[in-house]
Amino acid sequence: MTVDRPGLEPLRPAFRLRFLTDAQLDQLQEAALEILENVGVRFPSERCLSIFADHGARVDRETQIVRIPRDLVLRAMSTVPRYFTMAARDPAFDLALADGVTWFTNDGCGTETVDFETRELRPSRKSDVAAMARVCDYLSSMGFIWPIVSAQDHGSTAPLHEMDACWNSTVKHVQSETIMGDASCRYAVEMATVMSGSREELRRRPSFSLVVCTIAPLLQDHHGIEGALVLAEAGVPVGFLAMPTLGTTAPATLAGALAMGDAEIISGAVLLQLAYPGCPVFHSLMQAWADPRTGAYVSYPLAARVRYAPVEMAHHWGMPALAACYGTDAPEPGTWQSGVEVSLDPFWAGLTGPEIVTGIGLTNTYTRLYPESVIFDDDIYHRARHALMDLEVSPETLALDAIADVGPSGHFLAQEHTRRHMREALQRSIAHQLNERMTYRDPAEVARERVSWILDNHHPEPLEPAKQAELTRILAAADRELG
Amino acid sequence: MASETPALQPIRPSRRLRLLGDDQLAGLRAASLEILDEVGFHCPSEVALGIFTDHGARIDREARVVRLPPDLVLEAMSRAPRFYTMGARSAAHDIVLDGTAMYVATDGCGVATIDAVSRERRTSTERDVADMARVADHLSSVGFYWPIVSAQDHPATAPLHELRASFASTVKHVQSETVMGEPTARYAIEMARVIAGDEATLRTRPPLSLLVCAIAPLAQDRDGLESALAFAAAGLPVGFMSMATAGSTAPASIGGTIALGDAEIIAALTLIQLAYPGAPVFHSLMPGVMHPRSGAYLATTWEGEAAYAAGVEVAHHWGVPTLAGVFGTDAQVPGWEAAAAAPVALTLCALLGAETGSGMGLLDGCTVLYPEQLLLDTDIYHRVRVNLAGLDTSREALAVDVIRSVGPRGHFLAERHTSEGLRRLALSDLTEQLDAGGAYRDPLEVARERVRWILDNHHPEPLDDARDAELNRILQAAEGELA
Repeated sequence: MTVDRPGLEPLRPAFRLRFLTDAQLDQLQEAALEILENVGVRFPSERCLSIFADHGARVDRETQIVRIPRDLVLRAMSTVPRYFTMAARDPAFDLALADGVTWFTNDGCGTETVDFETRELRPSRKSDVAAMARVCDYLSSMGFIWPIVSAQDHGSTAPLHEMDACWNSTVKHVQSETIMGDASCRYAVEMATVMSGSREELRRRPSFSLVVCTIAPLLQDHHGIEGALVLAEAGVPVGFLAMPTLGTTAPATLAGALAMGDAEIISGAVLLQLAYPGCPVFHSLMQAWADPRTGAYVSYPLAARVRYAPVEMAHHWGMPALAACYGTDAPEPGTWQSGVEVSLDPFWAGLTGPEIVTGIGLTNTYTRLYPESVIFDDDIYHRARHALMDLEVSPETLALDAIADVGPSGHFLAQEHTRRHMREALQRSIAHQLNERMTYRDPAEVARERVSWILDNHHPEPLEPAKQAELTRILAAADRELG
Repeated sequence: MASETPALQPIRPSRRLRLLGDDQLAGLRAASLEILDEVGFHCPSEVALGIFTDHGARIDREARVVRLPPDLVLEAMSRAPRFYTMGARSAAHDIVLDGTAMYVATDGCGVATIDAVSRERRTSTERDVADMARVADHLSSVGFYWPIVSAQDHPATAPLHELRASFASTVKHVQSETVMGEPTARYAIEMARVIAGDEATLRTRPPLSLLVCAIAPLAQDRDGLESALAFAAAGLPVGFMSMATAGSTAPASIGGTIALGDAEIIAALTLIQLAYPGAPVFHSLMPGVMHPRSGAYLATTWEGEAAYAAGVEVAHHWGVPTLAGVFGTDAQVPGWEAAAAAPVALTLCALLGAETGSGMGLLDGCTVLYPEQLLLDTDIYHRVRVNLAGLDTSREALAVDVIRSVGPRGHFLAERHTSEGLRRLALSDLTEQLDAGGAYRDPLEVARERVRWILDNHHPEPLDDARDAELNRILQAAEGELA
């Protein structure tokens, strides 16, 4: 038995805010151009070095450092498409990236799961990816799906198994952040071609996309960057994600860390544009801080100012942005810290208008999956979605007839207008669910119950058996070659 | 020796936002004016009815319903000052309302206290008001103080005991929400005059202000109106708050609830301006939503976010400052729920230019004091404050020279720029405190400890003996008359 999946409810902010001025955006961009031209970025890949050399970048073969003249950067970036489509198994869930709408996904690549049944902490596995893809398939907050944890029961082909688990469990677009290297990416393209039906269709409506992490400071990963070239050739969207840490791998000033992370991202985007002009790319910068006493990675210090400046920087380059929300440093969900750190995120991100956003559902700085975390974060998402909505001021909502009817000191309970609007006036948060004694239930209990309910009741349309078999065949081949 | 009271740190947003369009604001105002003109409001005060009659309002003496022609409202409201000063016992802590900063107060009028030492829940007392005034005095987040709980150990004169406890325990501005009726107001004003020292200071730097609640739908409280008139006569700021609740005491649409609540507030502010043109007033719209099953007033609904924020703009459209509802929560214990809702409301109200707000430190629908909640809310306050400050993109902050000297694959730990930057990094007082093993401590435990530390160590400048004796004399007289 299955239930109807609610339609997607992206953020459609009624108002927007620019936190950086044009002058500040120009300063940041100039700094990135200066870094690219004078400091350079290391590309440990002969293929990449040749592409750069062919297009006139200054390549030091010995140090593998590429210095890119500003004109070359600007020329390459001029072929970046401002928007593209992230397609889904069910075309009704295709995401046509556009101004004014923001789609969210869950977090990814966690390594520990609090078991759905036993509640014990254990290493994550492929079945967790599938179960959570099904939960996220149901939630209206989720525009697309990341494999939420690592399929650690599948060794070196884990990333491909994660894709298999997702494609079998959700009809929404799937984005990987773990597929690395030329060989894995070729298998991934093969699997995606099965999902899309043909290479042409994959290019037209890419059923998956990839996030590739850069390494701070100013280094590309050999496997990451070579895999990116494979996907770009197939027309699959690729995003570069820089994670500069203020004080260790980046300068201890925010502007410096942002400029350096931006240079890393842009160096990858330039490479792809030089190799495959017009290929879809996106920009993602997630700054973090080093605890000066321990060196530990801190996502949420008090001074997280202008958290979504990278979104404005991406748009200044004419690229779509993948913003980062959620990912609390708190070890468990449902605690004060897990709420306070992330609760501004979707509202704040929505104000700046990124096209896509990640991060729902993990704790302990992106490493630990409590299944109910997605429900807590989903609740915060909808609070932000409502806070960003327009207020309807019309004769019907102003309700002057009902007010005149009730007059001073009456009540509105018996009004027809109240019956008409009460349901839309209050959508109940997990914090406002009643028990039999008419007091509020523990939101954690409500959240856990909701996950169980979705898993028991929501079974998305299964993948056609022929496609399932084909994915299994490709996975087996990959396991043989790479496993 | 007295402890120093830290300087206030108001929220100074680097950017501003408009939520409602001119046409929406015009629509809401037209609705309020129509309600006041055609439906009217219940006014059970003979003094107020007399003032309205003298100025040409239409009065139904029997029903005690007042109808105000739009011209009368607009003319009266045009006298209200847009900005003024809320004085403090210490001039350095005066709050100068000027549209550049937001100051936030504690919540008020709670009825139960979780004892800071025994952790038992008990009825609130004057001592709690004094203790929490001292805690608030120590926190740079608290711009002014609402007596946080009710001095229930002094039933007949509780509001005056709350004022005495507050004036003696903090050098900051005090705002009461419990002084009701002309006789009590008279004593309260006398106490304020003692604190101010002279009549001129009382009027230019009033150390006390008053908030009065209207009764939805469309009714005023007699004692509330009469105490407000007494305050206005003395030059002390008075504000009116509406807590119209969508579905029960207001229409089940947010637009209608705002219009109705605004009409209640404007009815009272018009009275004050008719009686004392130019008197400092403020507008406070804190609508709720009725829980459709229990009938309860819900402060922190998804839909409510927009309604609270809209109240800020409606106030400004009338040309008066606002007291915004921030931090109020339905959560019953410190934890996720309170943390999930508060930051968005505070950010939105600050971005809209709210001058003041209140609500730190209470839980369970503003009724229960957990002393540590004031510390938890302070952490949220500072996160929002720092987030709203802008980004430094100076050459020094962009750190291109530091990035050049480190180059690809290096690290920034040895740079002087790094040690200086990290020294400036604001970490949370609560979530980033290390234990002896180098792990982060439980923020709730840290918060409870901080409360006890403040209570043991912070003793703000006491009242001098003469003023202390004077306050006691006033209290004795009040008890003779009112008890």
